[in-house]
Amino acid sequence: MAYSDKVVDHFNNPRNMGSFKKDEEGVGTGMVGAPECGDVMKLQIKVQNDTIVDAKFKTFGCGSAIASSSLATEWLKGKTIEEAQKIKNTDIVQELNLPPVKIHCSVLAEDAIKAALADYQKKSDTEPVDTK
Amino acid sequence: MKVQPVSKDTDYFTCLGFPRRLTLDPKKLEAKFYELSRAFHPDFYQAKSPKEQTISLSNAAVLNTAYRTLRDPIQRAEYLLALESGSVKDIRTSPPADLFEEILELQDTLEQYRASDRESDEGQQLRKTLQTEKQTLDRRREEMESQLRQLFTGWDQLQDRGEATSQARAERDRILKQMRELLSHRTYINNIVNDLAATIAS
Repeated sequence: MAYSDKVVDHFNNPRNMGSFKKDEEGVGTGMVGAPECGDVMKLQIKVQNDTIVDAKFKTFGCGSAIASSSLATEWLKGKTIEEAQKIKNTDIVQELNLPPVKIHCSVLAEDAIKAALADYQKKSDTEPVDTK
Repeated sequence: MKVQPVSKDTDYFTCLGFPRRLTLDPKKLEAKFYELSRAFHPDFYQAKSPKEQTISLSNAAVLNTAYRTLRDPIQRAEYLLALESGSVKDIRTSPPADLFEEILELQDTLEQYRASDRESDEGQQLRKTLQTEKQTLDRRREEMESQLRQLFTGWDQLQDRGEATSQARAERDRILKQMRELLSHRTYINNIVNDLAATIAS
C-alpha cells in the first residue's frame, strides 16, 4: 500500500510534536488508543479566551496515525472551541487521502480532539474564575 | 449428496464443530480441520459441476480462516468477543491513561537512542535502560496472559453450567469486559515491546 504524499510529508515532518504540562492553565489533554492495532495518541490544546492558541501531539503508531494527529494539531490552531468541535474524521480522510484500512487512524484523531476539548472544558469548569 | 455452501452466518466455532469455549484442545482442533479439509478439498470436485467446484473452493477458504483464527488462543478470544460483544453493554473500556503515558515516554527514549551514537556512554546507557524496560514489559505481558487464561477457564465453566440467572449474566458480562480490557492492554504492550526488540537488535 502506498501512502499519499501528504501522509508522507506529515510523517517525515510532523508538525507540533511534543507536549505541554498537563496542569498548565488552559491546557486540555486527550489521550486515546485503538485497542485493535495498539496505536496510542496524545493530543493537547492550549486555550486562551476560547481560542486554541497552540496544539501539540505525541503518537505511537503507524504513519497514518502520526499524519492524522499532525494534521489535527495544524487545523486546531486558531480555531475557537466551538469550531474545533466540528472537525470530523472524514475531513482528515479527505485531506490525507487515507485508504479504507487506515480510516480508523482518522477516527482516533477525532477522538483525541474530542477528548482534549472535553478535558479542557472540565478543567475550566472547576478552575476558579478570575473575577477582576 | 451435493456439497452445500457454508452459510455466512456460520461462525468459526460452528464451522469447525466446536462449542464457544476458549480452552480448546489444539490436537482435536487440528484433527477436525484436516477431516473437513479433505471433505471440502477442491481436488475432489474436479469432476463435479462448476457450481459445486466454486462452493467447495469457498468452503475451503472459510475453513482455513476459521482454523487460523481458532488455533491461536488470543485470536480465538478476540473472535469470541466480537461474536458476543453485541450483547454486552459498554464493552468499550476506558483507555489506560497511565499505560499510554508510559508508552509515549518509552517512545521518547527510543527516539533518543536512535539518534545517539551507539558506542558512546549515552548510547550504552540508553540501551541498558531500554533493555530493562523491555524485561519489565515482558513480565507484565506474561502476567496478563496468565490472567487471561484464568478468564478463559472462567468463561468455559460458566458456559458449561449454562445457567440463565441474572447472576450468571452479570458474571458473563464481567468476564467479557475484563477480557476486552486485558486483550487491549496486551496489544498496546505487544507493540511497544516489538518496537523495543527491533530497535535494540538493530
